[in-house]
Amino acid sequence: MFPRVSAILPFRPLSRLPLCSGGPEASAAAIVLLGAPHGTLRTKDNIQRYFGTNRVIYCKKDGQSVPTHEISKEPESQDSEKENTKKDLLNIIKGMKVEVSTVNVQTTKPPNRRPLKSLEATAGSLQKPTEDAPKKRSESLNPELVAAASAVADSLPFDKQTTKSELLKQLRKHEEDSRAQKDGERRKISFGNIISDMKVARSATARVSTRPVHQIQFDEGSDNYVDQEKTVDLRKRRNIFKGKRLNIFDPKAVTEEAPETETAPSLWDVEFAKQLAAMNEQPFQNGFEEMIQLTKEGILWEFPINNEAGFDDDGSEFHEHVFLDKYLEDFPKQGPVRHFMELVTCGLSKNPYLSVKQKVEHIEWFRNYFNEKQDILKQSGIKFN
Amino acid sequence: MSSLPLKAAGKHLPPSWRIQDTTAAPYAFQDDPYLIPTSSVESRSFLLAKKSGEKAAKFIINLHPKYFQKDIAEPHIPCLMPEYFEPQIEDISEAALKERITLKKVKASVDMFDQLLQAGTPVSLETTNRLLDLLCYYGDQEASTDYHFQQSEKSKELEEATEETDEKSKKKAGHQFGVTWRAKNNAERIFALMPEKNAHSYCTMIRGMVKHRAPVQALNLYTELLNNRLRADIHTFNALIEATAMTNEKLEEKWNNILELLKQIVAQKMKPNLQTFNTILKCLRRFYAFGKLPALQTLREMKAIGIEPSLATYHYIIQLFYHYDAPSKGSSLVIYDIMNELTGKKFSPQDPDDDMFFQSAMRVCSSLRDLELAYQVHGLLNTGDNRKFIGPDHRRNFYYSKFFSLLCLMEQIDVTLKWYKDLIPSVFLPHSQTLIDLLQALDVANRLEMIPQIWKDSKEYGHTFRSDLKEEILKLMARDQHPAELQVAFADCAADIKSTYESQDARQTAPDWPANALNCIAVLFLRAGRIQEAWKMLGLFRKHNKIPRNELLNEFMDSAKASNSPAQAIEIVKLASAFSLPVCQGLTQRLVADFAISQEQKEALGNLTALTSDSSSDSDSDISEGK
Repeated sequence: MFPRVSAILPFRPLSRLPLCSGGPEASAAAIVLLGAPHGTLRTKDNIQRYFGTNRVIYCKKDGQSVPTHEISKEPESQDSEKENTKKDLLNIIKGMKVEVSTVNVQTTKPPNRRPLKSLEATAGSLQKPTEDAPKKRSESLNPELVAAASAVADSLPFDKQTTKSELLKQLRKHEEDSRAQKDGERRKISFGNIISDMKVARSATARVSTRPVHQIQFDEGSDNYVDQEKTVDLRKRRNIFKGKRLNIFDPKAVTEEAPETETAPSLWDVEFAKQLAAMNEQPFQNGFEEMIQLTKEGILWEFPINNEAGFDDDGSEFHEHVFLDKYLEDFPKQGPVRHFMELVTCGLSKNPYLSVKQKVEHIEWFRNYFNEKQDILKQSGIKFN
Repeated sequence: MSSLPLKAAGKHLPPSWRIQDTTAAPYAFQDDPYLIPTSSVESRSFLLAKKSGEKAAKFIINLHPKYFQKDIAEPHIPCLMPEYFEPQIEDISEAALKERITLKKVKASVDMFDQLLQAGTPVSLETTNRLLDLLCYYGDQEASTDYHFQQSEKSKELEEATEETDEKSKKKAGHQFGVTWRAKNNAERIFALMPEKNAHSYCTMIRGMVKHRAPVQALNLYTELLNNRLRADIHTFNALIEATAMTNEKLEEKWNNILELLKQIVAQKMKPNLQTFNTILKCLRRFYAFGKLPALQTLREMKAIGIEPSLATYHYIIQLFYHYDAPSKGSSLVIYDIMNELTGKKFSPQDPDDDMFFQSAMRVCSSLRDLELAYQVHGLLNTGDNRKFIGPDHRRNFYYSKFFSLLCLMEQIDVTLKWYKDLIPSVFLPHSQTLIDLLQALDVANRLEMIPQIWKDSKEYGHTFRSDLKEEILKLMARDQHPAELQVAFADCAADIKSTYESQDARQTAPDWPANALNCIAVLFLRAGRIQEAWKMLGLFRKHNKIPRNELLNEFMDSAKASNSPAQAIEIVKLASAFSLPVCQGLTQRLVADFAISQEQKEALGNLTALTSDSSSDSDSDISEGK
């Protein structure tokens, strides 16, 4: 085991850090893990909370893949810490080995919750934007430890399963605890069960929700990461368009075309439209723009010149102007009156200045006239009914 | 530096394919060449004069419509005919009321309404609503033609100016501009008189109250609307959001209330529009640091629903993240995300604040000192029709001044000069500070030979009498020695500047030449070999009560030596002692060492120096020189 441990050991400190893809999320774990720079109580709470919401997934030790993965995400500032912690780990594991071999595994005391002064510094340099998107860290316990734990469980007179699970839970707890305090203190914590690559999978939501201030700081881009930002790969950084939204409106519901009653635009709408148009006004950049504006106002004609621009003629066609015979139905079919009226319609059909309505009115006027003058017509012997 | 191939920077050269002729004045100013404005102040008065002429003509036509009835235009041109602003219907009827409302005669409409009520004629709900619209929109004041101009310009300027002050003082300032909602005004009275009210009545009242800064009443009225089981429309909700932000509560409270309102929008099955989100962001600006996260959440919500943000949206976000007072405290990278998103997009007007975007974006580029970003912003401005969003004159000037200053600071000098030719004067007229920035860029790039040209340009742009600009020019020219040809050019330029000072003197009673100017001009004359004029300058020192610098006197001494004239040298020493300068000693020694002078002169000098050394330790007194 020892050679293997030492081989993997250099990577060990890396696994401390929120690994996996998603550096920013990772750092959330690290920061909470390392404790907030807010004093003892907060640290305590965080660590406790962390443990409380922890969901550990056991998986087999996965020696090779993890290290390479982790190395690529590691910022340089971790190097010095790595060196020191490497030494600590070696010693710890040496000690641990001895413990594990004994039958009576003593669960170590939960490590002291002393204020970790240097946590602030490390937290600061580690500080990266934290966003939701839960990232998992998987951790596995050394199968030998597990074997040792089950051996202990067997040897004890209590319920084997519960004992075993409790022991394993304790092991995990200590592991995480020790990792939390590693950066701060150089003192040796008797982990009792540090394994080279233990991975813990946990959901990150609980952590994130407890740090609203921290999130705001991220969004504004905090001071100590201005220098790093330019060099940090933009892919890693969160875009302002990605992230939590208000979650009040439902996209599907909004895009549905709701039946809207069409009301005439009120004064508010009209004035708003006018304001928008006024905002967009710019002085003319050239003569063409001026001419466009004048054309819109109606001062200049539109090209190509339309002879009938602005003249609608009530939508009537040429045949309505020319063929006026249908209005002569009420008049007698023969006789001077008819003759006269045909001349009238002939003249009207050639008249380009009157609208159809006006022409019809003309003929109407004649009808009324002839109706009134019936007696004169009777005297002359002309029929008109 | 100047030999760097322009191809490398080619992609950022000013676009010379633009329609604009960069050698001509802007089209709007092309009339009588004598009147073409040369400074931004002049251009503003030019445009105002032109517009006021049009308005005066329109005013006269409308005042005497009976003289302007002849209409020979075919087709008919309505905009050239006189407009009728007086109501034609004289009897007391609903039609008369409608006409007055259409003509926006506030007082007349209210009077007509009261008369109708007194006569017992019922007024229809629709007409009453229209009347309420009129009253609420104009806040029970008459609708003057420049109502909008006054409201928006003043409020925007005051907003920018008072951003730093806290809520209270802003409230006080608020009462000085715009219209406030008086309690029991006509709108409220008529609203109370209405036998039946529909949702529109409530909505218009709420919007009016919010517009004229009566948020509490607006919120109360909204409660009443809900009690009557009516539904407000989306515009009213937008107004309510604004009202919530205007109240006096804590920021957390306000934000929660706004979220409540949004949830009510959903509950009432209304669809939010662009104005909803823009109003939220506008209000979040005053939340400062607290507003940053909510603002981003709002932006994401907008995009998730499919409402495309407008330029005003991004403007509010920039204002929130890059506040005036805290320039680069924790610079955010928000602007980069925004520009990446916007590049290549064409916009249409959707919000009255859309024209503020480019100004704030350029301000941020300038404070971040990022030239690439500035090019991106400028590229966006030139995409499609986006240049309409540059805003009014002063905003355009601000934008281009910042852009050009950034270019001077960060770009290679050749590219900067190309931009200079391109932008000035066809796009904007430079402030004297802009020209000073350009001069400093030339200094850094060691292209001081362009200075006389810049001086010529400065005179054209109305900066002839700007002393800071002139001093900068003189300082740069006089600082180092230059090859002979250049010195001659510099001396000509200095002579020109001198003449401007002289003409300034003629106009003022108390002539005031700055000491720097005198020193520099004298030195430039000296170096170009114009000795006579240089000596005349020395005489001017006395006249203007300014003290010549030590280096200047030493240079004079050098020139005296070069021309082998001890008389001149003695003059210099006399001058130095007259001013009681400590350098007098050094000069005297030089004189004695380098020149051949007679014994009497030496004695005279001895007295001089004795007097000088005595008086230099005590206070100055007018001791005459010589024996």
